[in-house]
Parts: sequence; C-alpha cells; structure tokens
Amino acid sequence: MTRLRKDKIEHSRRRFLIGSVGSGLLMAFAPSINALEVVTGGASEQLAAKSFSPTVWFEIDTQGKILVNIARAEMGQHVGTAIARIVADELGADWNNVEIKHVDTDPKWGYMVTGGSWSVFQTYVPMSQAGAAGRTVLIEAGAKLLGVNPKDCSTHNSHVVAGDKSISFAEIVKNGKIERTFSPEELAKFEPKSPASRQLIAKPSQALDIPAKTNGTAQYGIDIELEGMVFARPVIPPTRHGSKVTSVDDSAAKSIKGYQGYEILTDPSDTVQGWVTVLADTYYAAVKAGNAIEVKYDLGETANVSEQDIISQGETLAKDKTSGTLVVEKGDIAKAAQNAKTSLESVYKTSSVLHFTMEPVNAAVEFKDGVCHVHCGNQWQSLFLPVVAKAVGMSDDKVIIHQYYLGGGFGRRLAGDYMIPAALTAQAIGKPVKLVFTREDDTRFDCVRSPSVQQMNAYWDGDDKLLGIEHGAAAGWPTMAMAPAFMPEGVDKKGKFDPFSIAGADHWYTLKNHRVRAINNPLAQKTFVPGWLRAVGPGWTGWAVESFMDEIAHKQYMDPIDFRLSMLDASGKNAGEAPVSVGGAKRLAKVLTDIRSQTNWGQTLPKNQGMGIAISSGQERDMPTWGACVAHVEVDVESGKVKVHKLTGVLDCGTVVHPDGALAQTQGSMLWGLSLALFEGTEFTKGQVKDTNLDTYTPLRMNNLPDLDISFVQNTEFPTGLGEPGLIAVAPAIANAIFNAVGARVRDLPITPEAVLAAMPS
Amino acid sequence: MIEFSLNGKKITSDAEADTPLLWVIRDEFGLKGTKFGCGIAMCGACTVHFNGSPVRSCSLPISAIANAEIRTIEGLDNQHPLQKAWVEHQVPQCGYCQSGQIMQAAGLLATNADPSEEEIEAYMSGNLCRCMTYARIKEAIQDVAGQSESVVQIYNPKRDAQGVS
Repeated sequence: MTRLRKDKIEHSRRRFLIGSVGSGLLMAFAPSINALEVVTGGASEQLAAKSFSPTVWFEIDTQGKILVNIARAEMGQHVGTAIARIVADELGADWNNVEIKHVDTDPKWGYMVTGGSWSVFQTYVPMSQAGAAGRTVLIEAGAKLLGVNPKDCSTHNSHVVAGDKSISFAEIVKNGKIERTFSPEELAKFEPKSPASRQLIAKPSQALDIPAKTNGTAQYGIDIELEGMVFARPVIPPTRHGSKVTSVDDSAAKSIKGYQGYEILTDPSDTVQGWVTVLADTYYAAVKAGNAIEVKYDLGETANVSEQDIISQGETLAKDKTSGTLVVEKGDIAKAAQNAKTSLESVYKTSSVLHFTMEPVNAAVEFKDGVCHVHCGNQWQSLFLPVVAKAVGMSDDKVIIHQYYLGGGFGRRLAGDYMIPAALTAQAIGKPVKLVFTREDDTRFDCVRSPSVQQMNAYWDGDDKLLGIEHGAAAGWPTMAMAPAFMPEGVDKKGKFDPFSIAGADHWYTLKNHRVRAINNPLAQKTFVPGWLRAVGPGWTGWAVESFMDEIAHKQYMDPIDFRLSMLDASGKNAGEAPVSVGGAKRLAKVLTDIRSQTNWGQTLPKNQGMGIAISSGQERDMPTWGACVAHVEVDVESGKVKVHKLTGVLDCGTVVHPDGALAQTQGSMLWGLSLALFEGTEFTKGQVKDTNLDTYTPLRMNNLPDLDISFVQNTEFPTGLGEPGLIAVAPAIANAIFNAVGARVRDLPITPEAVLAAMPS
Repeated sequence: MIEFSLNGKKITSDAEADTPLLWVIRDEFGLKGTKFGCGIAMCGACTVHFNGSPVRSCSLPISAIANAEIRTIEGLDNQHPLQKAWVEHQVPQCGYCQSGQIMQAAGLLATNADPSEEEIEAYMSGNLCRCMTYARIKEAIQDVAGQSESVVQIYNPKRDAQGVS
C-alpha cells in the first residue's frame, strides 16, 4: 500500500544545520537537495535567512528554553508533545524547559499533511537524528567551555556533564558562537538511542497543549479576528456538484440589522459550484440573512439521488466479478470457486457517516500586500494551498495558510475546501472575511464517509478445507476526488485505485487463494465528495473481513480465536519485514493470545450476553499497528437493542513514544468504533445528507460509555501509529458478540435494533 | 440596550435582542473560550453559567439575560479545581468542547458536591465530545467530587451570583 510519497520526506538527503542566530541557537534541516543549489552561506547565515525545511526546527535561547516548532496539525492527538519528546530525549533536555509551536505554512518550506496516523511513524528517525546532532554540538561546545574532552561528556537535564563538572545548555548558548553543518551521511550515522538509555520516550508525561484547553485560551480557527473583517455565511446549494445560481432575492434579508449584501461566487477551481455567501456586520446577522435570502438554482444532476440508489449501484458492482481493480491476487480464486464443494457468500454494508467535528468548518481570509492569507485549522495545507491559489488566480507562493488548533480533524480537515468560499468572498469585496459555517451548513458540505458495499465469498473443498476468499469492496473514493495523483496501479494493471479505501482488505491471514477487488462507486463519486474519515478504508474493510472470518469460523465449528490463530502463520508475505513490520502476523497472534487470557475468553455469561473478537492491523501493511478487540455485549431480545458492557483492546504499536497520549488516542478511537457501530449513520435523500444536526444525528455520549480495558504490548520495536487503529476492530467485535449472544448475524453498519431482531434465529 | 454582569463586571450590549448570548460573549466582548458547536443547544460547547446554572448560550437570546450574572470559562480564573483535575487526568484532546464540559461539570458540583456515577452520566450527557474523552471527563469529575466539599465550594457560582463569596 502506498503512503503519500511526497510526505515520505527523504531526510537522508538533507543536511542539518546548527548555528547561533541572534542570541539563541537554532537547529534545522536544510531544504531538499534541489533547493540547496541556490542556497549559499554558512549554517548561521542560512538559518538566519530561514532557508530551512519546516519539518522540524528547534531553538535554544539564553535562558535554556527549548522551542520545538511543529509542522503538524494539532487536533487532539498531542502530536507536538510526542515529536518534541523524541527530540528532547536525544538532546538530553530538561522537559520542563521544552515548549512547542505549531507553525504557519509557507509553500517553499515543504509538504504539510497530518493524517493516516503517520506523524510519529515518519518523524521518529529524523527527529532522533536531529536531536542527536544537537546533542553532539552542545557537547562539543560545552566540553570546550569546561576544558574537558568531549568524549567524556554526556547530556542530562539540559546540562553537559563530565564527571563532577557540568554546564547548562543556557550557558553554552550564551557563551559559544556555534556553527556546524552535518552532511546527510553524518546525520544518518546517528542511531536512535537504545531503549535503556532513553530519558523521556515511553515515560509518563503531560501533553504541552492541554493547559490552554482547560481555560479557554487555546486558539482555534474560529477564534480568529482580522482588522476590519466582515462576517460571512455560505448558502449551500442543493447539490455538491453542478448547481447554478439563477436568481437571488434578498429582499427579506434587507431588514436584518447589519446585513451588508451577498456575493455569487465564481470559482475557477470548481470546488464550490453554485455558491452564494451572505455578508453582515455580525455573525448572527449573517446567519439570519442566510435563512432569509432566497436563491434559485439550476439543479445539478444528482438532485434526486438517495442512499439506496448509491447502495444499489454498489451491490451490483460488488457482485460483478469483473468490476474494479485487483489489489490482491494470490493463487487462482476462479479455479477455487469452480472446484468448491461448498461456499459462503455474504454482503456487508456501511451507511454514510458524518465527520461532525465539534468546530464547524470556517476560514478567515485577508489579501494583504499581494499575498492571500488564509487563517484556519487544517490537516493537509499542501493539498489545498494550490486550489486556493487557482480559485483566486494567484500563484502558489502568494498564498499562506496560517495554522491554528483544530476543533477536531478526524479526516474532515484533510480537505481544505472550506477555505475557497472564504477566499473568493474576501477577494470579491476587497475586505477581510471570516466565513463560518453553521452546523447545518457544515454537515451539508461535509465530505462524508462514503456508503460501502462489500461482497465476501469463501470456498471449501470436499474435505471442508478452506480454499480461499474473494472480496469486492465498492465505495466512493476520497483520494480520487481530492488527490488522484496518489492513486497507484492495481496488480492487474487495469486501472488505478484509492489505496486508503481498500487498505485492510490486504490482511495478514494466510490464504492459498485470495482476491481483492477495489471498486469505485461512480454514483457516490458524483453525488458528494467522499472524505477520509478516521481509519478510512479499514473502517469498512475491517467490518467485512472480521465479520466474515467469524462467519467462516462458525461454519467450520471452530472457536473464532483458534480459527484466526490457525490462519496467522506468518508465512510468505505475512512474515513481516524489519524494522516496521518485523514479526508480521506473529504479532497479531500475540495480541490475540493476550486478549484471550485477559478477557477470560470462553467464560460462561448470563443469557443474551456474549463476547466477540476481531483484530486489525492498522492503517496500512507498510505501517501496521497490531490490535485485537473483545466486545462484551448484551442484547435485549424484545427490542433488539444492544448494550455494550465492556470493550477490551490490546494493541502493539511498537515503542510507545507518549504513553498517556497513546492511551487517550486509543480510548477515543475505540469509542469512535462503538459510535460508528451503534449510534451514527445518515443517508442521502435528494442528493444531500438527511441528518444535519444533533437532533437526529446521535454520536455516542457519556450515558453509553462502556467499561474500557486498554493495554499496549510492551516492546521496543519501531513505533507505528495510533490515531486510528483502535477504531477498526470494534464494530466487527460487537457484531460477532451479538452473534455469540443471541445467534443474530448483522451485516450492516450502523447496527440497528430492527436489524438485530430481523436476524434473530426463529 | 441590555445590561448584565459578565464574569463579575457590569456591561452593556447594543446587540439585537434576539442575538444569542454566545455571539455577544465571543464577538462583542472577545471571550473566545466559549465555543459554537451546534447552535441548537444539543452539544454543550457553548455552556456558560446563568445566575449560577449551566445554560447553552447559543440558544439564549440576550433579551433573556437582563441584569443576570453570566460566567464563562474565563471567569473561573484558571482556579477551579476541575481545571486542575482536567490537566491531571489529561482530559482534552482537540479541546474544543472542554470549556463547555468544565462549565457543565462545575454546575453539577456546585449543587451536588459528591455525585454518583449515574448522576455524573445523566448530568454530563448533554455535552458531546467528538474526541470521546468521556472516560477521563468522568474520572476528573469523580476526582474533584472526592475532595472535601469546601474545595469544591470555593467556586460555587450560585453563591457568587448572590454576591457571597
């Protein structure tokens, strides 16, 4: 599976600069090798001119304060803390002196994306090396000041220490003129510290962004105020694509105090089609004006599309064995199907799901001195910066996106589409504009998780031996809609596919014959912009794979854990590769074995209660986080209602860099899994989502909180990611538990009481 | 013109009478800690204290608050025991809903200093947390509730509203 290649920054080809700038000491990666050709001067000169990559840089001032600049979006994952601890650990810094700052973008500085649970995974080695390089320089300068041999020095608590002599980082920065450049080769020689010598990584810590989030001072995009700004609200057209404004009547809005007028937007980037924005002195006046204004449209062609229309198309495509692009092709599944004596065919579906970030999307835009300044929280600045530029007819280097805390990301803010109407409105009126979506505007403009349909077929020979599995997954593809350049070719070279929408289908079970087809649902693609939603593809492929594995186990009269273990032999491609997936399927077998004893699997439970198991391997085969989940549920057989008593999760993400952050992320992602399993789901009616606010859209609240028992396998392997993987196994674990409790097999998400009742054995 | 007290200070607003208190607090008086979430009083991100009781400011027109005492997250002065517990338990993730969660929880403890688990769940279920930090919110509240009553009542907003502190 392909990660965003542009995001795989090749630090091995970058130099690392350390130099005195002003009164402080600055350390940063040089820009990529091509940009270097035009960069001249020593380390200090380059650093002072800010000719460096923003991926990481950190500075130490004369007070010994260490500021780590983070080019990742902070949306609740405390990513800055995790990254800063890697640097600080290598430096030998006193954690109490470390601060983080989330930086603004400037297009020349490099690629900015936060998603896919990649941050720690991708930054672990370069950040370790950067910290080690910093330590080397501080030791050299400190040794000189102490009059000792650098070889006898180490760093601890922001001091360079040699025997009974020591000097603080602050003193070194004050005293030494430092100038040093590490070549890529020198940098590559720094190995991350051995686990035993770590001072911060994997130790308990508090996240640096938390205090500001308990007293109202944390600044989110929606909190921005620009001098002389006008408030705006969008009028969302009836279809996502193809609507055209035919007339606007704002006579009813004119009596609203503070109403300034409206703009019909023309968008060269085609992101927003048929959009009007209303303008006012205050946001509430803009809200009222948006309600009062009457806009008439030529409707786009999807004006009558329903959820069922999209699902029906998915069902047809998933059933058609010639559709889609082959992503896994092992053995000969067609022959296995032909020779099969028995088979099992199941169809799994998931409904549309909203991101529903607590902070509705918004952006404030100002044109100043020929530069378009966009202020908002965003996860993938580099994706939409060129789109903003195209929309306003400026070059990429004239657009800057200023970053703030995100009031929830979950994949919604990977898309930066909400910047466009703000930029166009500001350009049209020649004043700064703050465009805020109401909740209803936000949900109607959401890039929802596409409905999905998956056809799963299993085949057995005459001796009841499993021959193989065929898997077709049809859905709308976010990557096709927003970043088609990141779509790789299928193994049959018959077309490209969205890797994020099929990941998880290429699981770690060893099968003799295995075929996976990734199928785009064109009606979904036309009707809305499919979005990346927390866990993306594995959020639905995991649902089908792990429910189906249970169905197969039961058909073979095997215990579901024993059955899974029998398939996790870590042979062939499932052996894993050092360092990232070292151990392969064996590590899945370990979490399964651990969770079996931890949950006392097989214990006798009261009537209508059951436990269910499911596993997952995270977001991608190239970055596996190994996980198992056991759900303990109770089914009310009269109403079909499901109560989840407890969720147990055992995860192996390699080295846990920030233990409490890891636990927090997993608590959140497992509860997301529960919310998506039982409480969330909407549908398209007349081309738009039916549920636009909390009166009918009902995410999990505290009154449905189950007991959580989450643990991490303690090892020192390469750290992978944790933002999403906890989510994946929860829904299938719940479904498998429902089956074990009352014998009802449910195959649609969300699981409704009606579906449970309908599936009850008579 | 409406006169009311905001975090202990008498103020007046010229906003239209139907304007929700939320926008007056945020945009007229610049207190951005109170957040806009749903606009229909169902997420709790905009929770403030109205004469000591938690209310949803997104759905409260300022015409209804004449002469009332309004307290926002900023009005806790970073001194409420819940704020300390929120840090100790590392509750916030994205943090957007947490001002509202803290104001709601403060309202609970002001009237029920030692709530049961069920009482906490019932009282807090009107506040949505999209990051799903519920387990930690509950633990943090239980932690403070377990402390002596006097600690909690230092910031009893009802008493503050009556001018007794």
